[in-house]
Amino acid sequence: MRGGEPASTGGAKTNPARPPPRIIAGIVIFIYVIAGVVVLIAIWIVLIFNHLIRLGNEAKRGWSNIDVQLKRRTDLIPNLVEAVKGYAAHERQVFEEVTAARTAMQQASGPAQAGEANKQATAAIGRLFAVSEAYPALRASENFQKLQDELTDTEDKIAAARRYYNQTVYQYNTRIQSFPDLIVAKLGGFHEREFFALDSPAEAALPNVDFSGGGAPAK
Amino acid sequence: MTLEEQVRSNRIRSAMLLLSFGLVFVGIGAAVQAVYGGAWLIIIATIAFVYALISWFANGKMIASWTGARPVTKGEYPELVRAVENASIGAGLAQTPQVRVVDDPSPNAFAAGGSPKSAYIAATSGLLGMMDKRELEAVVAHEVGHVRNRDVRLMSLTAVLVGVVALVADISLRLAFFGGGRRRGGNPILMIIGIVMLILAPIAAFGIQMSLSRRREYLADESSAEITGDPEGLAMALWKLKLDTTELRHANRATAHLYIETPLNNTSGVRSALSGLFATHPSLDSRIESLEKMGGFQLPVPAGQ
Repeated sequence: MRGGEPASTGGAKTNPARPPPRIIAGIVIFIYVIAGVVVLIAIWIVLIFNHLIRLGNEAKRGWSNIDVQLKRRTDLIPNLVEAVKGYAAHERQVFEEVTAARTAMQQASGPAQAGEANKQATAAIGRLFAVSEAYPALRASENFQKLQDELTDTEDKIAAARRYYNQTVYQYNTRIQSFPDLIVAKLGGFHEREFFALDSPAEAALPNVDFSGGGAPAK
Repeated sequence: MTLEEQVRSNRIRSAMLLLSFGLVFVGIGAAVQAVYGGAWLIIIATIAFVYALISWFANGKMIASWTGARPVTKGEYPELVRAVENASIGAGLAQTPQVRVVDDPSPNAFAAGGSPKSAYIAATSGLLGMMDKRELEAVVAHEVGHVRNRDVRLMSLTAVLVGVVALVADISLRLAFFGGGRRRGGNPILMIIGIVMLILAPIAAFGIQMSLSRRREYLADESSAEITGDPEGLAMALWKLKLDTTELRHANRATAHLYIETPLNNTSGVRSALSGLFATHPSLDSRIESLEKMGGFQLPVPAGQ
């Protein structure tokens, strides 16, 4: 958008066949303006693109945090089953439930399925612990206590990772669904991501931290 | 303001803090040189520059040695380490900060260090004894919130830079007025430094309030609620802190703003009179209240009494 083009050189007098310099200058300015707008749009697209990439990477990292803990959980389950079997071999139904849940966890593809499988596993493991209440010798065993402790820890960590992941997915999905970013997302092949074990989408958005408020809490 | 803007503003403030620290010492150097001659400007400016450089890279270690925060393992403090791990996962930190413990019966916690990679979370043994799992996780998440919001570098830098101003003020005052007893009249240079420092130290302390608004604490409280999804846990923890009246042994004005709750409690006399004016923290009551509004709950005991 530069307007400093030489517009009065007197060229029109010497060469009448060429268009007057005012028009040439006008065209040049027009080209500059167009080029400027194109560059601005390009910069804007790159910025949005990078932002979406970053949000997507955060969601990916959030997912890998969950994945690590899910793997740890599936690894711990057989040990737990073995430990309980030593004291309560006849509680076959619970073992089957836990094993089925574990298989479901291993076969799950994508966060939504994994979330469902994980819920199933939480319920089954909960029942296994409930059953083990009836066996004082089992509960006193150091191995069992350690496994119980580890499993509780993985459960806590899955819960923490889930919160972060769902928040990032919520941000990411909202961005690629709303107007200006929508175009870049379509062109760049960004797709919505699945939530992990989310009861309602609103859950991921809360609580909302307002960084501008002087302690005035957001909803 | 978004998280990114908060991060950027913290970065700018850190740079400004270093710059003004440098300017203060250049000013002192110039004043001494003007009165006494010699190359005091360059000497003092160099010392200040080296100190600022060390502060930038080693503020975490410096604060650890002042506060007595020692690194601990998961085997020693499984609950604390787990709380830090969980909060870091919940905050989406790339790495779990180091965990440290201060052996002190007064319950408190702080975060210090530079980047999220070199930051650490420290809790006192008093805190570990007092809080249950849920409350401990909330307190730790508050500190992890400071790490995620990139508050730690600014807060740590403030502590070490203000700390040295206080220290130099203290030493030069002593030397100027008492140490010089052998020579009559004392040393004029130290006298000047001492007087300048005497004026500067409270200004620097006031500078903490200026650069580290109390909003940061509300913000870390909100971050904690976001990380754990449990504002009530933090409110209960703050309530317990409010009831406690023990004072941290190693706390001083320079490091006071680092802690989750002000470590300089219930002291009588001048300090107590000034505490409202120079408070580094908003009152626990208003923080609890703000959490109650946020989470839509009410602690069983009325917060304001």
